[in-house]
Amino acid sequence: MSVRTYLEAISDGLRDEMRRDRNVILLGEDIAAFGGAFKITRGFVEEFGAERVIDTPISESGFVGAASAAAIEGLRPVVEFQFADFIACAFDQIVNFAAKAHYRWGTPVPVVFRGPAGGGFRGGPFHSQNPEAWFTHVPGLKVVQPSTPYDAKGLLKAAIRDNNPVIYFEHKHLYRRIREDVPDDDYVVPLGVADIKREGRDLTIVTYGAMVHECLAVAERLASQGAQCEVIDLRSLSPLDKDSFLTSVRKTSRALVVYEAHLTGGFGGEVAAIIAEEAFDALDAPVRRVASLDVPVPFAAALEDAVLPNADKIYRAAVDVLEY
Amino acid sequence: MRSITPARDRSAVSEPRETPFLDPALDRLAIRPDQPMAEVELLAMYRAMRMARTFEQKLSALYRQGKIVGAVYLGMGQEAIATGVVSLLQKDDYFSTVARGLAGWFMRGVEPRHVLARWLGKDVPPGHGRELGLFLADLKQYGLAPYHNGSMASWIPSGAGFALAFKYRREPRVYAALTGDGATSPGDFYEGLNFASIHKLPLVVIVENNCFAYSTPNSLQMPVANVADRAPAFNVPADIGFGNDIFEVRRLAQKAIDHARRGNGPYLLEFKTFRQRGHGEHDDMAYVPPDLREFWERRDPIRLFQEYLEGEGGLAAADIAAVDGECRTVIDEAVAYAEGLPAPDPSTVTHRLFAE
Repeated sequence: MSVRTYLEAISDGLRDEMRRDRNVILLGEDIAAFGGAFKITRGFVEEFGAERVIDTPISESGFVGAASAAAIEGLRPVVEFQFADFIACAFDQIVNFAAKAHYRWGTPVPVVFRGPAGGGFRGGPFHSQNPEAWFTHVPGLKVVQPSTPYDAKGLLKAAIRDNNPVIYFEHKHLYRRIREDVPDDDYVVPLGVADIKREGRDLTIVTYGAMVHECLAVAERLASQGAQCEVIDLRSLSPLDKDSFLTSVRKTSRALVVYEAHLTGGFGGEVAAIIAEEAFDALDAPVRRVASLDVPVPFAAALEDAVLPNADKIYRAAVDVLEY
Repeated sequence: MRSITPARDRSAVSEPRETPFLDPALDRLAIRPDQPMAEVELLAMYRAMRMARTFEQKLSALYRQGKIVGAVYLGMGQEAIATGVVSLLQKDDYFSTVARGLAGWFMRGVEPRHVLARWLGKDVPPGHGRELGLFLADLKQYGLAPYHNGSMASWIPSGAGFALAFKYRREPRVYAALTGDGATSPGDFYEGLNFASIHKLPLVVIVENNCFAYSTPNSLQMPVANVADRAPAFNVPADIGFGNDIFEVRRLAQKAIDHARRGNGPYLLEFKTFRQRGHGEHDDMAYVPPDLREFWERRDPIRLFQEYLEGEGGLAAADIAAVDGECRTVIDEAVAYAEGLPAPDPSTVTHRLFAE
């Protein structure tokens, strides 16, 4: 075991897999000598060489198309988007090529797209987005979003070993804030398995990504007031471990869904719909959602804070559900 | 042919023009190889082209009879390009083309009956009814690489990706991406060629310039006269050829393939040609001036090839007629075969979304 930050854990997972399998190569902007905008790949080109750590021109669609094809040909490319926001430039190659190739022709596409996502650090409209719902809507893609160093490393290793395109959203605001003991030995966190980050009997909070930490803070506060929250970290949005939260809701009878992306059309809406369809009889209160306002993520601190969910907003919604 | 050298000389870039229909330096009404070719090789190419033409005439009829639903897209008039390029590929090379390059599929050994079964939506591999007859990918059997969809620019990046894997593994293989003039407008065309050229990847991009992107003429697609005029921006060598002359296609393609296989990076070929049918069979081609159509129909690639074979080529007319007859038989049998196949089982529709 070693204490690792979320960022170091991602880096460790990537390095481990590159040491394990020569088919793992990296493509992205400024990832070689510069080590990446966030330094995830610092030291990689020195260890693995420029043939495996490829600095690309600023051309997301081009290098996503190339990486997807190299995957079909048997390599296991991991693509770094400098910011998850820029994945929009490669949307077509992801949703119309990588996602559909296996269904159309039976060809596996073992490629990972890493997207540093999320707000909270004054990045403004183009460096703060959470675009996971653009991709959970597309059959043929797997989408994950870890919240802890342990999960970050284990999910990345599982994603790289998976034979399908996996979009791996890592939350930038967690990079250097969150640290914990992480095993040095090989392990994976399987895709499609949620994690109960805190057990409780009064309210189920379903969340993922950076909001896991806000929800845990709320659960702590509510515990001191006598209400026990169960915090479910989905970790994987696609495939989705729906039994994790359905089982929990049947126990608590109350559900709150928390996600940092925009409220409308966000993945939490899907979670709420599943709870309504499959656990309606168990509910004692309407399912509530807490998410970002439906506006672009603004730059100024006062504005960004007004848009993003936080512990206070989650706390108020949780109290509403508990008191219904 | 014309060569575009990757020079900084601005005079290499020519202004677009409306006439003539084809650069007189490229135009010809009789074709011949540089060196004599074996009869068996000539007949194999002729067979692929005639098979594609016969297949497409039948496909058009089936569409009009309502036996094929959706739309069909034909490549009549462009058969020489894919045939010529594919005739030069090694067994482990990859290529991609939609069914507009049907003759290339046939040159590679794809069986007409399997293509027809796919147009009819039957339960046949590799798609089992999930994909149109327009698209085919089968790496294992034919080296036909998976690509995106009808956005044909998108397989320049993917071609670069396959080529990247070849280079990474030190395999002397090439990727031939057959695409069209319309595909040179989206950014993917530039992103793919740029990346391939930086890393000297074994990618040959073949642009079949058939005058129109659906209904939009070259003059509204690009501010230069030739797609190849853009190659110097990527430091990629390029040639322009007459795409209805299969011997010219082979001359230029051999040079491009050798260049890429030797590790010198990508090569761009532009072949001037003409789509004798609409974008799809639903398209009446009202946008095509009659004299343009007549000009190109006088230069039909199969007719030019056949005239060479029966003339200078010294083949017996009876041998050519025998191939024509064989093609009709194969296609008739293909229809009977494909119509008799089962449709896919709806209970399988969610299968195979993900790989194991």
